[in-house]
Parts: sequence; structure tokens; C-alpha cells
Amino acid sequence: MRDERSFRVALVADRYVNAAPGGLDGLAVLAAADWGVMQLPDDAYPDEVAQLLLAEIAEQVEEFSRHGYLFVLVGERAGLGEALARVGVGLPPGVEPASAGELSEFLAAQPDPPALTAAPE
Amino acid sequence: MGVAFVAHCLLNQNSKVRDGAHCAGVYSPVVDVLRARGWRVEQMPCPELAFAGLNRFWAVREQYDTAAFRRHCQRLASAVAGAIAARAEQGEEIVLVGVEGSPSMGVTITSSDPDRGGRPAWPEGTPEHTGGEGIFVEELHAELDRRGIAFRVAGETHALATHDEDTQRASLESVLEDGDA
Repeated sequence: MRDERSFRVALVADRYVNAAPGGLDGLAVLAAADWGVMQLPDDAYPDEVAQLLLAEIAEQVEEFSRHGYLFVLVGERAGLGEALARVGVGLPPGVEPASAGELSEFLAAQPDPPALTAAPE
Repeated sequence: MGVAFVAHCLLNQNSKVRDGAHCAGVYSPVVDVLRARGWRVEQMPCPELAFAGLNRFWAVREQYDTAAFRRHCQRLASAVAGAIAARAEQGEEIVLVGVEGSPSMGVTITSSDPDRGGRPAWPEGTPEHTGGEGIFVEELHAELDRRGIAFRVAGETHALATHDEDTQRASLESVLEDGDA
């Protein structure tokens, strides 16, 4: 079977995954652009819940990063930078898109993932 | 309507074991059904990714059924159960959407082969699929039972020989509607 992965992963604030009525449906834009999504905890979660989830997300980001997957950040999440720092990873390039077009342009401007540029044909 | 806690790979196929990604990123056949019916989507961590890494081999349940992997899954389950508890306290219905056939994320079908091990070479096919939960789902199930939280389950079936997208959709819709009856 052919593996279809894109090697592109977006860390995405909850409000772009579960958009409020009239809000930007970031998940739809990311899906159409072939990006994988790692959803960040909803801001409504208690800190103790969010911190545990962010720690697990950070460990997974570290594993992807070591293998040359490309990351971006869509939106923001308090505590994410600290969680990533604990596993030795910095915040990826980010955007706070106001429209689907703005998000699409941001994604299209990203470089190829290192895993793809390094992989033999 | 309620909150669907979905397997990590349903939003991010990059987390799949090598040669296992069915699409580039978001697996829309499941996600679209949830969103069309007004369910909130929340992504669970991938138990295998952080433990065995991106270069892990395809594996069956017995290969992951170690004390160390269970401790890892219990840690993840505790984190996820905290989020589920917060939603349940708001009166939300909870559905877990797993990956049928997975050694860790299966909800009614997992994989089993007590003899598998050593040099990774085995025939194509799916004789290892068997009824039961994957190890992470088992640990999450235990944690939610301990907290007294009710939930329903549904599974993405792409790994099964019997996979059919219409059947998968109908099954998911049936699970989502159960609470509305």
C-alpha cells in the first residue's frame, strides 16, 4: 500500500477545529491543503487538564521533529511554548488567520518538509 | 450531540505506522460525519507514536502488552479522562472513536498473534484481527469506569479486510444517534 502522509503537521488552536458559528473553519482548510492536525486543548479546560495534554502533545511533536516533519502553529495556546521547551523544541512559525484565504496563503508559503527533501526517490 | 474523542490519526495520518497512512492528513470520512451532525471533535494522543516512535514496526496487541506500555497508556488515559470528565460534567454525551484492528486504539476489534516476534516478516492479510479493545482503549475504559463516566464507542475500519466506507459511515451515525433515542 502506498503511504499517503504529507509530512506536514499543524498545531491548531481548538477554536479553529471546533469553530464557533461564523468562525473560521481551519480544519477544513488544513484538510484541503493536505496538512495533518494536532489539536491544542480548549482554553476552557482547567489548567491541570490542559498541562497534561500539552505535555503529551509536546512529546509527539519532538518525535515528529526529529524525523523531519514540518510544523506550523495556527492560533495559540497558553503553555504550549513551555511544554515544547521542556522537550527541546521551539515554537514553529505561526499565524492567527482571520480568513480561509489567509490561512491557505500561509500554508502555501511554507517550505517543503525536511523529511521530503532528504528522502531518496 | 456531544463530544467525540477521536483517535489521533483521524486528524493526523502522519502519526500512522509507516505504509499505514490512508491520506495526507485529516481522514475526512469520519471527521465529516461528526461535524455534520454537530459533534465537537477532540483529538486523543497516539499511544504508539510517543512510545515506539515513527519508525515502529507494525505490531499486534501482544507485542505492546508490556508493563511499560501499560504505564504509558495509563498516563495518557489519565490525561484524556480529565478532559472527558470536564465535558461529562457539563452534561455532554461522550463517544470514543477508535481505529478497528489497532493493537492500542481498537474499540471492538484489535489484533492478536501470540507467536509474532523476531525478524519482522509475515504474510499479507488480516488473520490477526480479533474481537476486543486495544490496550490504550482498555486502560481509558478502566479509567472512565473508575470515574463513573458513561460513553459509547465507534471505530474507523480502514484496516479491516471488510472495510466499506458506506458501512463505516452508517455505523458511526448509528452510534452518534443512540443517545438521541
